[in-house]
Amino acid sequence: MAEDLNWAVGGEAGDGIDSTGKIFAQALSRAGRHVFTSKDFASRIRGGYTAYKIRTSVDDIQSVVDRLDILVALTQRTIDENLDELHEGSAVIYDGERSWEAEIPDEITAVDVPLKSLAEDAGGAIMRNVVALGAACEIANFDVEYLDESLEKRFGGKGSKIVENNKEAARLGQEYVQENYDLDHLGYSLETTDNDYVLLNGNEAIGMGAIAAGCRFYAGYPITPATSIMEYLTGRIEEYGGHVVQAEDELSAINMALGGARAGARSMTATSGAGIDLMTETFGLVATSETPLVITDVQRSGPSTGMPTKQEQGDLNMALYGGHGEVPRFVVAPTTITECFWKTIEAFNLAEKYQTPVFLISDLAMSVTEQTFPPEAFDMDDVEIDRGKLVDDDTVDQWLDSQGRFRAHAATEDGVSPRAIPGTTDGAHMSTGLEHDELGRRTEETDVRVQQVDKRNRKVETAKEEEGWEYREFGNPDSENLILSWGSNEGALVEALEYLEEDDVDLRVISVPYIFPRPDLTDEIEAAEEVIVVECNATGQFADLIEHDALTRVKRINKYTGIRFKADELAEQITEKLSAEVPA
Amino acid sequence: MSSDVRFTDFKSDKQPTWCPGCGDFGTMNGMMKALAETGNDPDNTFVVAGIGCSGKIGTYMHSYALHGVHGRALPVGQGVKMSRPDIEVMVAGGDGDGYSIGAGHFVHAVRRNVDMSYVVMDNRIYGLTKGQASPTSRSDFETSTTPEGPKQPPVNPLALALASGASFIAQSFASDALRHQEIVQEAIEHDGFGFVNVFSPCVTFNDVDTYDYFRDNLVDLQEDEDHDPTDYEAAKEVILDSDKEYQGVMYQDDESVPYHEQHGVTENMSEIPDGAPEDAMDLVREFY
Repeated sequence: MAEDLNWAVGGEAGDGIDSTGKIFAQALSRAGRHVFTSKDFASRIRGGYTAYKIRTSVDDIQSVVDRLDILVALTQRTIDENLDELHEGSAVIYDGERSWEAEIPDEITAVDVPLKSLAEDAGGAIMRNVVALGAACEIANFDVEYLDESLEKRFGGKGSKIVENNKEAARLGQEYVQENYDLDHLGYSLETTDNDYVLLNGNEAIGMGAIAAGCRFYAGYPITPATSIMEYLTGRIEEYGGHVVQAEDELSAINMALGGARAGARSMTATSGAGIDLMTETFGLVATSETPLVITDVQRSGPSTGMPTKQEQGDLNMALYGGHGEVPRFVVAPTTITECFWKTIEAFNLAEKYQTPVFLISDLAMSVTEQTFPPEAFDMDDVEIDRGKLVDDDTVDQWLDSQGRFRAHAATEDGVSPRAIPGTTDGAHMSTGLEHDELGRRTEETDVRVQQVDKRNRKVETAKEEEGWEYREFGNPDSENLILSWGSNEGALVEALEYLEEDDVDLRVISVPYIFPRPDLTDEIEAAEEVIVVECNATGQFADLIEHDALTRVKRINKYTGIRFKADELAEQITEKLSAEVPA
Repeated sequence: MSSDVRFTDFKSDKQPTWCPGCGDFGTMNGMMKALAETGNDPDNTFVVAGIGCSGKIGTYMHSYALHGVHGRALPVGQGVKMSRPDIEVMVAGGDGDGYSIGAGHFVHAVRRNVDMSYVVMDNRIYGLTKGQASPTSRSDFETSTTPEGPKQPPVNPLALALASGASFIAQSFASDALRHQEIVQEAIEHDGFGFVNVFSPCVTFNDVDTYDYFRDNLVDLQEDEDHDPTDYEAAKEVILDSDKEYQGVMYQDDESVPYHEQHGVTENMSEIPDGAPEDAMDLVREFY
């Protein structure tokens, strides 16, 4: 892991931190290097501490670590917040001409660059971050020309003058460091490759997956961190004949999406935190009316408004049990950014095949993390679409009763009924959240009630048999130490394996992308001496499920600081847990 | 769609459980007739209803339909219409459904101006929960939960619509069958959001806003030759007149641009390819 470079830019919200980081991340990606980013941001528009961190390597990386090599500090707080991660070989780029006196520990190399005045020389103070990027390139021994492409991508729309000014700003930063500092002893040198990578985050992968899956109608209400799914779809889904509507609230959003789904369009809504609570009112209706709908919950730190810009995996119980009464549902939880893409497609297929709501649960860490992948990781030729038992004018007849009425909720053997969408001749029918008969008409008859409840639950049994509810596995399959995880912790765990190998600790890591139905892990658990469940919540919601399934106690690693797991930290905690007592 | 559609084609074989004499019978008949008269048939029509006596309408009519949760029928209807511009969408609700729990949705549905119709059966009481005050109940109307009356002014749904930028505002009376049908027909034919508030008396729990009361007090705007529905000021005057009850089209903005035109939403979104769209790799390349 010597090839790594850990870089960050930090300042106040409104300082352009995000775009600065994105420009550098894209430059690294264009240079054929792997990139893994993380963001630290506060719930405010201007002011407050915000940072964009990049870890880059020629090797694949899937996690952040507690280490910073080059830090662009636009404020003193940026330095203070990251002191723990700075080390003897670190360099801090700051602007000594600005009013604050940078307090930087002696062992860390302070690189004072007049960011603002160099930016003004290039055409405007606003480009001071780009000056800093040029300076960072020089320190890292990374060719500043790689920045040019990302500057073109970022500013191309604003005209060639702006692009040229930015390129100039980067070069001024580079030259300033060249002329005033000798930093070769830091030893940074970023190797490049010919690989073409794409760089995207989990929410973008979900949006892209939705379009690939044929989602045409999206209704949502802005909420951190789900909003960027809506932002991604806006302006793109129209190209494929779709539409995004910003509803007046989450209640409306899910009901609009329900309308779209009943009209036959593959439809989705996405929300987070409090929004998913509001949507819960309609959740039972979606399930009882047997409407295929994908409901995405990008988990953030709760309860109530909690910490809206921080990581947590605390909504699992909500997805499993939310809503009054008992309703069948699927809960799918992608474990990586590529999985965000593929599981979104699968969610749409499951929704239509089984005419059931599908919760697609992601989390904040995955939604804002940008990562590089070979483009084939999103090979559109592999996208398969299954619309289930959709009937048309020619096939509707076999589902009509003796009086010619469409049996929209026919109690079939597999529990799945035919589906007629508006416009289908003779398919007209009503659906309702009231208990109903096969025709969709209200009933309180005990026999029909039982028939319909059983029929809906039977869909889950059918799906359990027909779908591959698999898990992803890493490490040593014969290890007696079994680690179970769900959601975005997978990357950090996979890297933790490497740290632990160095200490001769071996692990079998199982990452579970399906919460309900989920793979049966009883055999794997029985084969292991030690079972540890890793998740970003306080109570261990997934661990509870595992204990329930396997009828045994497991150890737990829980993190609920609001920050995602880091590979090095996880390795340490796993070592500690392995020698600890199993809880009573 | 066939030209020989009769309004009875929109009728289901389920017998309504509304109280004998309920205004909702007339309201529903007018809706079915209006749908048939405007050239629709059950297979190209989607009716959405909320909760309450009005919400039962989807059961008694025959079409594609959804009976949803309380107050949220309008969002469902908009979702149907936005994804299927080729389908006729009608939303039915009650005064509680539309002006209390669903008031927020009402305001936003009105301002979006989606090309659909919204028929509210306004009986000025909560019927199905057996007689509590509704948002349109008079301030001195005594009920089980307001023994001395709600002591707050009723919502004026027409004014609320006008203030929200409505492009079509009308009111009708369930018992005046022909006029009611004509007015709903105009709402359907309006190119945008057609809103009709229908006086639909509750014979069981409301002994104030009765058939007789409306018969005695109703002024038909059709008989007022001076009323020009395209005149905003004239509409405002009628809508804010608290001394009289009106029926007819209060306001119609002929030049309003419906949602689908504003947003270029014209495709039938139910048809999708068997795999990813042909040029879907462009989506990936964007991230280079």
